[in-house]
Amino acid sequence: MEALIEQLKQEIIAQLNLDGLKTEDINPDTPLFGDGLGLDSIDALELIVLLDKNYGLKILNPADGKKIFQSVRSMAEFISENKK
Amino acid sequence: MGAYIKGIGIVSPQKTFNTKTFLTETVEHTTNSLRCIEPYYPEFINPVLARRMSRTIKMGIAAAMVSLRDAKVEMPDAIITGTALGCWEDTEKFLVAMIENSEQLLTPTAFMQSTHNTVSSQIALLLKCMNYNFTYVNKGFSFESAVLDAMMMLGDSDAKNILVGAHDEMTEKYFNITKRVGFWKEEAVATSEVLRSTTNGSVSGEGAAFFVLGKEKGEDDYAQLRSLKMIFEPENEHQVEEKINELLSENGLTCADIDVVVYGKSGDVRYDKIYSHLEDTLFKNSASVSFKPLCGEYQTSSSFALWEAAMMLKTQTIPTAIQVNKQPKSEMKNVLIYNHFMNTYHTAFLLSQC
Repeated sequence: MEALIEQLKQEIIAQLNLDGLKTEDINPDTPLFGDGLGLDSIDALELIVLLDKNYGLKILNPADGKKIFQSVRSMAEFISENKK
Repeated sequence: MGAYIKGIGIVSPQKTFNTKTFLTETVEHTTNSLRCIEPYYPEFINPVLARRMSRTIKMGIAAAMVSLRDAKVEMPDAIITGTALGCWEDTEKFLVAMIENSEQLLTPTAFMQSTHNTVSSQIALLLKCMNYNFTYVNKGFSFESAVLDAMMMLGDSDAKNILVGAHDEMTEKYFNITKRVGFWKEEAVATSEVLRSTTNGSVSGEGAAFFVLGKEKGEDDYAQLRSLKMIFEPENEHQVEEKINELLSENGLTCADIDVVVYGKSGDVRYDKIYSHLEDTLFKNSASVSFKPLCGEYQTSSSFALWEAAMMLKTQTIPTAIQVNKQPKSEMKNVLIYNHFMNTYHTAFLLSQC
């Protein structure tokens, strides 16, 4: 799980152009949106594409998105539970 | 018609961002493709917003913000931009992703930022400016069309101050494709040697320049932009002469009144002949200056020339780096810019001292 979290952090930084941020700056339990990392709705779309492109995972029920994108850890858990 | 240049912001391959100095120091590049010297962006753009912006967007916004500060204008009555290529880097990114992912899994950012009016609209968003906003994408006439629109608006409406500008960026892919059709030089050339080059092609360039054009004359104006003309694919030199004479006579001037001509000489032996012809005929008594060795060739390079002409008129100096021949005998009152892109889009701007 920790290796996946580390990898995910790198991919998020690259995909969202979070210049100046290092993987160690992102706490895996910090909320991605709102007061945490401060991501917005466009970033949410980028993250959906990231999951699909890098892990072959689609979010079929939009209501699940809020839980999946809660933090880097929740994303990693979703990947490890669903990746074939 | 006519407008007063009240503020300028320019990002170019030279250190032009500080509008208080005028080419006191020039950067000598040795290349066939010039790249801009970029400013420190956090001063102008929130880093959270900047992370989604490509180079040309950031250059355009920074130049626009500096020109507004320079003119002490907080809210322009219109934002008008000219660009030939738009946000090319993002367009490439989006198209490459479409090909690589078989038109699936496209991310929104590159698409949103790849539209030609991104810079104009981002400036409006940052300023919360709901006024007229337009982007002209007319190849080598893009900047000229934007300026013409601004001048007509100042003449025909209540608008007092208009932000008008141009931006174009060079990418590796666009450079390589256009090099194959003969746009650019094969060899690297030093900035100071460009006009002595004897080969085909020019040194490619890029840049972003914004101007605040005002209706009313002010104390700190750079110059008066009196008029401009566009000539598409002139048939011969006489047609060019005719149009220039027309431009001057419409403004009550003759060739003898032009103290300095800013020529768009690019070091391309195929296309520089018209400039030499004008130097030897209409303007044999005027001083000649260049601008393309400093900024390179690109479709909206006239914007760099406009900055240069305005700075010359305000400071009454001609920096050594742009001098081609003799100096004006007395003070500079009238300056003509004559430029063309690939011998297709010919333009002339007439400026006068305020």
